[in-house]
Amino acid sequence: MDSFGLLMDGFAAAVTPEHLLWALIGVTIGTAVGVLPGVGPALTVALLLPITFRLDPANALIMFAGIYYGGMYGGSTTAILLNTPGESASMITTLEGNKMARAGRAAAALATAAIGSFVAATIGTVALTFLAPVVADFATSFGPPEYVALMAVAFVTVSALLGRSLLKGVASLLVGVTIGLIGIDTQTGQPRLTFGIDSLLDGVDVVIVVIALFALSEAFGHLLTGTGHTTVAPLRERAVLSRSDLRRSWPAWLRGTALGFPIGSLPAGGAEVPTFLSYATEKKLSKHPEEFGHGAIEGVAGPEAANNAAAAGVLVPLLTIGLPTSATAAVILTAFQSYGLQPGPQLFSESGPLVWTLIASLYIGNVMLLLLNLPLAKVWARLLTIPSYGLYAGVLVFATLGTFAAGGTAVDLLVLAALGLLGLLMRLGGIPVAPAVVGLILGPIAEEQLRRALTLSEGDPSILFSGGITIVLWVVVALALIGSLALPALRRRAATRDRG
Amino acid sequence: MTETEPAPDRRTVLSSGAFGAVMLVASVLVIVDAVRLPDTSGAVGPAAVPLPVGVLLGVVGGGLLVQARLQLARAADGEPWQRGAGPRVLGMVAALVAFALLLPVLGYVLTSTALFVAAAMLLGAPSFWRTVAYGWALAAIVFLVFDRVIGLSLPTGPWGF
Repeated sequence: MDSFGLLMDGFAAAVTPEHLLWALIGVTIGTAVGVLPGVGPALTVALLLPITFRLDPANALIMFAGIYYGGMYGGSTTAILLNTPGESASMITTLEGNKMARAGRAAAALATAAIGSFVAATIGTVALTFLAPVVADFATSFGPPEYVALMAVAFVTVSALLGRSLLKGVASLLVGVTIGLIGIDTQTGQPRLTFGIDSLLDGVDVVIVVIALFALSEAFGHLLTGTGHTTVAPLRERAVLSRSDLRRSWPAWLRGTALGFPIGSLPAGGAEVPTFLSYATEKKLSKHPEEFGHGAIEGVAGPEAANNAAAAGVLVPLLTIGLPTSATAAVILTAFQSYGLQPGPQLFSESGPLVWTLIASLYIGNVMLLLLNLPLAKVWARLLTIPSYGLYAGVLVFATLGTFAAGGTAVDLLVLAALGLLGLLMRLGGIPVAPAVVGLILGPIAEEQLRRALTLSEGDPSILFSGGITIVLWVVVALALIGSLALPALRRRAATRDRG
Repeated sequence: MTETEPAPDRRTVLSSGAFGAVMLVASVLVIVDAVRLPDTSGAVGPAAVPLPVGVLLGVVGGGLLVQARLQLARAADGEPWQRGAGPRVLGMVAALVAFALLLPVLGYVLTSTALFVAAAMLLGAPSFWRTVAYGWALAAIVFLVFDRVIGLSLPTGPWGF
């Protein structure tokens, strides 16, 4: 059967009241955590991981996908009204969005963000529907050497893209990989890095690491700097687009989508890069370049479409190769694993109905998100009036709940506090935490594939460079390394020239 | 993006250097631990991956230390922390440790309320009794939803919640 027929079966399965309910819960929670600054979709999915082990896989994954898409919608509300990105992919939206809000055009900014997100996520999901089976088909030929090379691509690009400097990104990645080594080696039964502590034999739970690095470090950071006072731009009218706003928005939506989806679906992805590119493109193409920096609607429409399309794109390598390229995708991968499902080419053949139900629910979730976000923009904006001491104290309560549910012992809570302090040090030092999460989750998979490859070749490392695909991938690794080393130098040179 | 990277402030530089030092310590631990792993008959033993990871930890940690040392000279003062910043973080860690130890004894609702109140007061909540009310309400709702509805069994104190 072709993709379309499978998708229709997926829709038939997804419109049961139960699945619709979980999709609605997911998108509602997702929008809320997207709106709240400092609480992102990666953290939320991690917090809910242990709790949903009581749900059946389809319900849990539909909810997580809803949180993932919803977080992208909600993030723009905070960026526009508060001038703080609700999550990292909305950083660019603050540039023009908050200027529009201060000029009394908050409603138009929110509307172009929400409709642009809908258009982009829908096109992105359509592209996912037809691209994913092709990629999965292609990936069935991958053996351990190909996977090792793919992991290397992901490691390099994740460290280079998810932070400011390659050195700090690699540092974060290595810390994640090291934490991933703790526990009994599955292939030989040897305990590694346990130092005789029995409760470390099972390793450190991913949930605890994610909660500590994202939630505790945020709360600790606010203890140091104070919670401060923020000004929320007022939202007076309903979120609607005037005819001229629409005329200026729709080409930007489409261009943002065209940038976002392909970049998101590369095993290099992330949703941040396409938002930068989209903003630069809109600024260059705009008929009103003088408005940029003062609230140009294209500067909201393009990047918001780009980040939602990229979010759909990130699901391509996640579902077809099992390669997460963002922190949220990495945590969703863990959710699959906890149900004994391994995303990858076999997922489509072995768990086809589940995957297609999930993809169908993405379309449905998108419609729900548009309906939730346009008329209810004012309600979501009210979330921003929660005082931050209450917000972060509440985050701590959920952080300890998630940790207790994952581990269930006092030791787990102590590990949480210790890792939280490590996260605080990283935050203070400008070291990104997302690569650590990717390293923690991909590290053990990479090790397994590497050892499988070397066992096949009886220890001869040349197997890692055999075959056309692996060589291409290693060239990509080399180019990405050179590129990320050369880029800051070029930027510095351009900066000195600008100064004159 | 045409804006240039701002000069890093002293605290960022020192923290990134300290993180480099932590990585150096971790590097030694990982290498020592990997070396004592026994050899196996397979082509690749359990130490094959930890050894290079340990070496890389050392190299990158050293790199961060060197970078921090070089940047320290031109680092500017950053925004000041709020009053009692250090004690606040220590207080929060103490509250988390107390939570870990008291949870099985006093039950979920009471300990979580206490954790909420401690965190909120350290973060600068203006009114103690109102914070207690919020914390109690949140802990009670969480207990009802997750313990009674979803069926995750949370610890109960002698009074059953």
